[in-house]
Amino acid sequence: MEFKDYYEILGVAPEAETSDIKAAYRRLARKYHPDLNPGEEAEEKFKEVAEAWEVLKDDTRRAEYDELRRYGGQRRQEFEPPPGWQSSARPDFQHFSGDFSDFFNSIFGGGFREEEVAREFGFRGQDVEIEMPVFLEETIKDSVKPVHYEIPVFEGGTVRPLRKSLNVTVPAGVTDGERIRVKGQGAPGQGKGPAGDLYLHIRLVPHPLFDVEGHNLLVTVPIAPWEAALGVKVTVPTLSGKINLTVAPGSQSGQKLRVKGKGLVGKTGKGDLYAVLKVVMPRSATPEVRALWESLAEKTDFDPRANWGTRS
Amino acid sequence: MTASVTRVTVTELCEREGVSQTVVVRLVEHDIARPIAGSSAEDWVFDATGAQWVYKAVRLHRDLELDWVAVSMLVDLLRQRERLDRENRRLKQRLARFLTQD
Repeated sequence: MEFKDYYEILGVAPEAETSDIKAAYRRLARKYHPDLNPGEEAEEKFKEVAEAWEVLKDDTRRAEYDELRRYGGQRRQEFEPPPGWQSSARPDFQHFSGDFSDFFNSIFGGGFREEEVAREFGFRGQDVEIEMPVFLEETIKDSVKPVHYEIPVFEGGTVRPLRKSLNVTVPAGVTDGERIRVKGQGAPGQGKGPAGDLYLHIRLVPHPLFDVEGHNLLVTVPIAPWEAALGVKVTVPTLSGKINLTVAPGSQSGQKLRVKGKGLVGKTGKGDLYAVLKVVMPRSATPEVRALWESLAEKTDFDPRANWGTRS
Repeated sequence: MTASVTRVTVTELCEREGVSQTVVVRLVEHDIARPIAGSSAEDWVFDATGAQWVYKAVRLHRDLELDWVAVSMLVDLLRQRERLDRENRRLKQRLARFLTQD
């Protein structure tokens, strides 16, 4: 197995004081902590840093590690602990569940193999978190959705991924960013340990027509300038069908019309649908239409920039 | 098989993170999570979103050796960032509908 140079990982000299090593650990831990930096790369880096600190913060472990480093640190790729090696530091079973490297476990595992420890103590399986895209239409009532994911399985001292498929009932009213838990569907436990859980991180799929604001929905309704001026009846789509709306004469672009109870399902009742008017110009105009616009321009003393003031 | 969604009890939370109930009480005091049911700490129940913040808080406390005040400030900011990211995505989508595509 590969020899891990913990000093190099933390970027400190082998003769560094514990206080300096601690400062280096804290700096790197802050930089790579998976809760502050999403992504697998940071997580791997953080695990390495945490393992190095776990060894170097403890005087007994550090002394033993230094000895091994002198013994085998040169042959980096094919390192094996000396025959009969046994650490006198207390084995740390808490970290057996795949968090630390084989290198760490072979030196500080107290001569136990991971599976033996697992049988004896039992480890809870890891939780698995995956993103789950949900369509807006699926949030208005409970909906059953298939989920496919991978879980790490320990077998014969190695970890291999296992594909899992499952149908999950997603409760009505889930919101963007919410997490839901499916008990016991994470990685299997070891020994007597229980299985981990599956956490689904809900991501609402952008809809071609509707936008979401809390539990309200927004739909953009394009109207012609004369429709805004004279008023019009329009048929507007909702999540569950269609609805007729009356646009009043003299309506503005950006104006919102509220349709009560046609929004998303919330924890405290249904949200509303807002139809947002958007005045759209025709792309081209015939000479006849152009003449009409010109006559309109002549007959109207409307200044759309009146509130810009006179200072400029 | 079809699995349904469940909440997280305070006991499950403590077992998962290897922490005592006192720690969970402190996290609730610092507004890192709010129980959605249960009148006393022993029968508190959290939704999965709340539980995830508790897990994060415990990891940050342990790995970065931060005190609970610092952790609660950090969690607050992380939560705010998540909310702002979502809001930003939503507003960009709404804006795109109002801008004219050529």
